[in-house]
This record gives sequence, C-alpha cells and structure tokens, in this order.
Amino acid sequence: MKPNISREDFEALVRRAGLTLSPAQIDGLHPAWAHVEQMLARIRTHGRDRAAEPAHTFNPAEFFAGEI
Amino acid sequence: MQTPTIAEASALIAARKLSPVELTQHCLDRATAHNATYHAFIAMTPERAMDDAKAAEARLMAGNSAGPLDGIPIAHKDIYGTRGIATTAHSKLLEGWVPTEDATTVTKLAEAGTVMLGKLATHEFAFGGPSFDLPWPPARNPWNPEYFTSGSSSGTGAAVGAGFILGGTGSDTGGSIRGPASLCGIAGIKPTYGLCSRAGILPLAFSLDHAGPMAWTVRDCAMLLQAMAGYDAKDCASANRPVPDFSAMLGRDVKGLRVGVPRHWHETDNPVEPAVQAGIDEAIAIWRAQGAEIIDVVLPSLQEYQAANFVILVTEAFTLHEPWMKTRFNDYGELLRDRMVFGALMAATDYAQALRRRRELCAITAERTKGIDILLTAGNAGEAPRIDSVPKWGNLAKPGFTNPFNLTGWPAMCVCSGFGPNGLPVAIQIAAKPFQEVTLFQAADAFEQATPYRKTRPTLSAVPSSIPKGLAEAGLNFPHSDLAGLADVVRDLGIGAKALKGDRPYYEEPAAALRLKPGA
Repeated sequence: MKPNISREDFEALVRRAGLTLSPAQIDGLHPAWAHVEQMLARIRTHGRDRAAEPAHTFNPAEFFAGEI
Repeated sequence: MQTPTIAEASALIAARKLSPVELTQHCLDRATAHNATYHAFIAMTPERAMDDAKAAEARLMAGNSAGPLDGIPIAHKDIYGTRGIATTAHSKLLEGWVPTEDATTVTKLAEAGTVMLGKLATHEFAFGGPSFDLPWPPARNPWNPEYFTSGSSSGTGAAVGAGFILGGTGSDTGGSIRGPASLCGIAGIKPTYGLCSRAGILPLAFSLDHAGPMAWTVRDCAMLLQAMAGYDAKDCASANRPVPDFSAMLGRDVKGLRVGVPRHWHETDNPVEPAVQAGIDEAIAIWRAQGAEIIDVVLPSLQEYQAANFVILVTEAFTLHEPWMKTRFNDYGELLRDRMVFGALMAATDYAQALRRRRELCAITAERTKGIDILLTAGNAGEAPRIDSVPKWGNLAKPGFTNPFNLTGWPAMCVCSGFGPNGLPVAIQIAAKPFQEVTLFQAADAFEQATPYRKTRPTLSAVPSSIPKGLAEAGLNFPHSDLAGLADVVRDLGIGAKALKGDRPYYEEPAAALRLKPGA
C-alpha cells in the first residue's frame, strides 16, 4: 500500500509541523502514512449534515459551580 | 503459597487467617525472584510496601479495618503520579521525575488500605511499545516471556498474571487496559468515561483517556473499582453521580439480560482466530442456558471507530507532547515518536471532523442497541505474538476491538476465555451502556464462574530453558541467580542483531573501510 502523498510533500508536512526528522526517519514514516490517509478518508467523506456538532461541546455553567 | 485473589485474601485477612505482612512478603519475594525475567516492575518499593502492610495489620488488630481492600498488595502503572516516588511514564524524558502529589485514584486506593509494591512498566507515555530503546526493558508475558503482553498497561498485565500483585491500575485510551488483560490472561475493566478520575495521571488524549483496575478475576476488578470510582473536581470530565455497589449482582445468573453480538466485527472486520471464536461461542452458550436472550446487532465497522479514535488520539497526544517532539524527538523511543508524528501532520479540520464523526458513531451505536443490555465481542484477534515480532504499524493496519468503547465511553472489560494453540490466553470483551458497570460485572462474572479458566495460573520461568542449556553446552557454569539477567542481555542482543540486519544497498560499505585521508 503506497500513500497518495509524495515523499517530498510528506516531508513538507513534517517541516511545517516544526519537526526535525532525519531523511531515514522520513523514509520510514512516509509509507505508513497510507494507513492514515485511509482513516482520514473515512472521517472526511460522510456527507454529514452541516449542523452535525462535534463531540466536544461543553457546558459553560460548569465554571460557575454553586453560583448559577 | 499461590498468590490468592483479592476476594480470597480479603476474606482470609478479615478472618485473621492471613497477615497482610505475610501476604506482602510473599508478593515481594515472588516479584524479586522473577521480575528480571518479566520486567513487570520499573521500580519496587519494598520499604513502603512493608510500612503499608504493617499499618494495615495494626488497623486490623485494633478492629479498625479500612475495608475489604485493607492489606491487599497492588501496584500502579507508571503514569499514575505517586508523591515522593519517581513516575517516569517508562520514558527517558521523565526519568527521575518525582511528583509532589498522588493521583486521585492512588490516594483513594491508599485510603482503602491497599499496600503499594511499586511502579509498573508501561508502553512509553501509554502509547508506544514494545520498545527496546528505553531506559527500562518492556514487560513480558507471564505465560511465556518470549511473548508480548500488549499494552500500554503492560506491567500491570504481567504483574497480575505472574502473581506479583493481586491487582493494579491501568489506563485505557484505545484499549490499554483490555489489551494486556486479554493477552496476559487476567481481567481488566475500562469503566465509563468520567467514572474514575484521571487527575494526577499523565494524560495521553484527554477525551479518550480512562483509568481503571486490572486483577485476576471480575470480582476483584469490582472491588478495586469500588475504591477508585467517584467524582473528582480536579478532573473536568469527572461524572458527578452516585457510585453504585459494583458487587451487587455478582454470583447471579444473567436470566433476562439481552446480549447484542456484532458478529461482523470479529467475523469480517477483523477475523479472529478459532480459539477466540470458541470463547465467544462459549459465552453465548452459557448465557443462553442461563436465560439470556442473544441478539445479532449490526453496528458501524470497526474501521469506522478506529479512524475517529486514531485521529482524535494522536492529535490530542501530539498537542501535549509538541514541545518535546520539537526539541527532544530522539529522546523518545522509536515506536512512540513515529506514531505520534502523525498527530502533527493532520489538518485542524481533520480533528474537528473526527469529533463530529465521534458524535455520529455514539448516536448510531446507541440507536442500534436499543433494548440491549450488553454487547459481546472479542478482546483481541488471537493469542499474543512473539515480543520480537510485533508489527510496528499493526495498530493501524488492523482495527482493534477495543476502540469503539473509548470513542463512545461505554464501560467494557476483557476476561480470559481460554487458551490458543501456543498455550497463551485469549479473551472475550463485554461492554455495557454508560454507567451500567453493575450489569457488566454481572455478565462477566457469570461467564467466569461457569468456565474453568481462573483455575489455571501461569508457571513462571526464571529464564528461558535455552539459556542454561546453551551455557552448559559451552562448558560455562553460571550461578542460577545470574541467569535471569544474562537472559535479558541475550534476548536484547538478539533483538538488536535482528535490527542490524535491516535492508541496505549491496554496495554500502562497512565502517571498517578506513580512509586515512579524505578522498584517498
């Protein structure tokens, strides 16, 4: 299984993230990115409703315990 | 003396037929004799343990018992903060770090009277493992030290399985309690998200992290969870609700319970080995015979849960580790740093989409399990692999059976359901609706009581048999006490040698091609 992203573009992602990896480390990680691409495709392509909220919505009242 | 279960020891201690001091000494002796083979402990705290045990004994003699866990030897995964005792996360980055406070759950277990024997091995920061490039070696399977424990609560799985302790703590972000419980042949529960405080435990991914107990039996897990559970204002995800009696339904059959079985998970999404399938079939037969109703359910594929769980996990984990990942990348073990890098490479929208997918999956799972009390699936696809052949990207290539319950927050536990062709344990996984741990324990205990798997303990080996045989053939006569340490060296040399054999171009020169002058 090969990733869709080229090795050069993958290296650019690493650099953009501020990480300093050796060429050998990038060579080792690039093929494994194919697994991640498959997962990203699963979460990106569900045609969900625009109003579908994420699971991390929070309760603002929790910061005012006993006050409100 | 065989290491008793917590329930057995508790009854004997209460009846003054077993001294906490004697029990603690038994555990310390057993761990001291065998830890060099199994590496379950990063650090043992024998003085603290004996102080705790003597204090427990004094309470008992004064008729002032702290409860059913008084005098019970346990230990903590080394991401649980322990005041005055180094907490390393099994990582060079925290080597020597000594917290000034106990984790909330450490305090609760201490207040319940438990005896702390030390700190247990973990996959580095509860994520990467098994790693051979860390300051401490990885824990090894108590049923055969050549095999993997799973992780990340690897030391707890090994120590409980080996009978070094009666119970211990673990954490679970994608399966880190249930994985080692499965492969080490013990019981382990990931409680409902929010039931046990994570305050003082080194986090991996805040929205997926769970704390929970591991022990030899379901009943023992219920006893430990009773002490660990409860609201804690220091954990913003802590659930402020009453804690039920987790042992209330133990010993009952499961008549009337409705058991959902998502067969496609273990038949097509990640097909399991026959021994695992046999355990699932046995659980169905036992529960059906007791009067439970078995119902096939169709849920989203394991891959769907895995994708959302992975994206959320690595993104949140990288967020926490970003400063060190940028400045001390090579101080992490290879497995952790290579897995965590991916968290830096995704877009912010990927994280938000994963959270939206999480809500959808929670809703779908709830909708399709209406009227169902518990779900039954596999704990792991098969027996443990050899520790030196764990695939680096195995957690990405195949979806785990545990991820759905981190993502949804449902309580889930793994219990031993037999043994595979290599003589290593396999496990079923049982899950219940949020905060329905009482029902979960009821079903798991009913299975455990109806099967013989808790009667077999692993036979510990001090050293692999090949070591003394090889030494004898070489005419070397080592004292037995040195062999365990030697065995470690031999094993690690073997793994190192394997790594050195890696693919490289045929024309690559060895370093021995000495050149006296550049270009000469």
